[in-house]
Amino acid sequence: MFDLILFLVLLLLGFVFGQIAEKRHFKSIIEREKTLRDILVFSERRIPDEERLEGILVCGSVVVSVDFFKRFVANLRNLVGGRVSSYESLLERARREAVLRMKEEARRKGASGIWNLRLETASIYKGAAQSVGAVEVVAYGTAVRERR
Amino acid sequence: MADYENREVPEGINVSPIHPLKDFALLVGGISAVILIAVVALSLLAGQFARHIPFAQERTLAASLGRWLPAAPEKPGERQRRDYLQALADGLAVNMQLPPEMTLTVHYADTDTVNAMATLGGHIVVFQGLIDTLPSENALAMVLAHEIAHVRHRDPVVAIGRGFAVALALASFSGVGDGVLQQWLGGVGMLPILSFSRAQEEAADAAALQAVLQRYGHVGDAAAFFEQVARRQSMPSGPTLLQTHPDTEKRIAAIRAFAAAHAAQTPSAARPLPAFMRAE
Amino acid sequence: MIVTNIETVPGKTIVKHLGLVNGSTVRSKHVGRDLMAGLKNIFGGELKGYTELLTESREEAMQRMIDQAKAIGANAVVNVRFSTSSVAAGAAELFAYGTAVVVE
Repeated sequence: MFDLILFLVLLLLGFVFGQIAEKRHFKSIIEREKTLRDILVFSERRIPDEERLEGILVCGSVVVSVDFFKRFVANLRNLVGGRVSSYESLLERARREAVLRMKEEARRKGASGIWNLRLETASIYKGAAQSVGAVEVVAYGTAVRERR
Repeated sequence: MADYENREVPEGINVSPIHPLKDFALLVGGISAVILIAVVALSLLAGQFARHIPFAQERTLAASLGRWLPAAPEKPGERQRRDYLQALADGLAVNMQLPPEMTLTVHYADTDTVNAMATLGGHIVVFQGLIDTLPSENALAMVLAHEIAHVRHRDPVVAIGRGFAVALALASFSGVGDGVLQQWLGGVGMLPILSFSRAQEEAADAAALQAVLQRYGHVGDAAAFFEQVARRQSMPSGPTLLQTHPDTEKRIAAIRAFAAAHAAQTPSAARPLPAFMRAE
Repeated sequence: MIVTNIETVPGKTIVKHLGLVNGSTVRSKHVGRDLMAGLKNIFGGELKGYTELLTESREEAMQRMIDQAKAIGANAVVNVRFSTSSVAAGAAELFAYGTAVVVE
């Protein structure tokens, strides 16, 4: 009985705080994306006007964790299979955050654009029994600025 | 650079548009239903199989479990009580037309536990704590007949067969998900087993009433045990066995109804318990 | 929609570069498939169920990327890359990204 109450409380806490955190994160992502819109990002390798520019590697990474509610839903989903929608928003957030951090680094270095962007996702979890359910996303690319 | 720009990508393309709570409700409801149906089917099947295990094998199985029943009493007083209980049970077995291969072994335990139980192999354990709450032999006969009915309906072996099958099925999911999910699966899986045992209790009550009526010609005092339980229920530690049993009030009502239906017989006084059955 | 994984679209010229588009989906397989895969692990061979699932998911990720490209007015995506990663035990993410462009 105690276990059940603890479980329901954790589920409720996970849902309420997870949803609040997700909404807040998305809001902050959208705001920061607006302020960094002038730094252009491409996945192409060819940089136009190369002779006037110099390149520097920039990188941004983030590790986000899944809340109790999402983890439970994902575990259930694992039994029947299909789209794990609770993880989709998590990865979307993580990816945009990583790109933003990369852009912030580019801004600090005075760059105006990033070429050859690469994205990597890695999961950090220990075993099936007690999975932590955290993902790391790394975004990296070559930022370019006027040659000095 | 004029032909290079970053246009704003609309939100929500990479996220499936389903509300998390709706997703949760669908999954929990659907999976619970599937598990319940599977467990019910499995335990019914296992129960049917277990019911066909010959009684002799059930006895062998019970014997192979080692020393798990109370040892034979050594004090002469306790032996006298045990023999009295055994005689009463054998008498009731005749009233209940128990098949000859089903032999009953009554064990007596001198503890305060207010309980009696039937287990594998026709073993019935009666605790002194229970005897102390009963006003007459009729009430004791009712409890014993109830346990004999369990033996006759093969309830102990069926329960063990079901428990075993469900535990095995749930164990096959042991690689799936984390500890929380496991706990939840186990909880859902055990639900139907509890409710089955209620139906078995009601059947045992009905059979016991018939036996008591046949033996004494009336069912006075039959509800005595449950009335005691109802009176004691406010106490912190109730009898543990009753947790899976039907609502006590309901059982008293059922017994009273049965008593009223058979009231035509001459109402005679309940037979008292022999003096040696009372705690010193 | 033209999709390539090189810098250009052969036979066409890129007139506008519209930036990064991506598509992702997280999928899990049901327990039955897990069990079958467990059996296959004994005998070896292709895990058809998983191949199908991942192919299907990759197509969906690509479709989502194309949807993003369409939404910002592109008619081709160049330099597309795929990545697969396991997010948690039993759930895999399929991810595709590239640069949306306008070609003529």
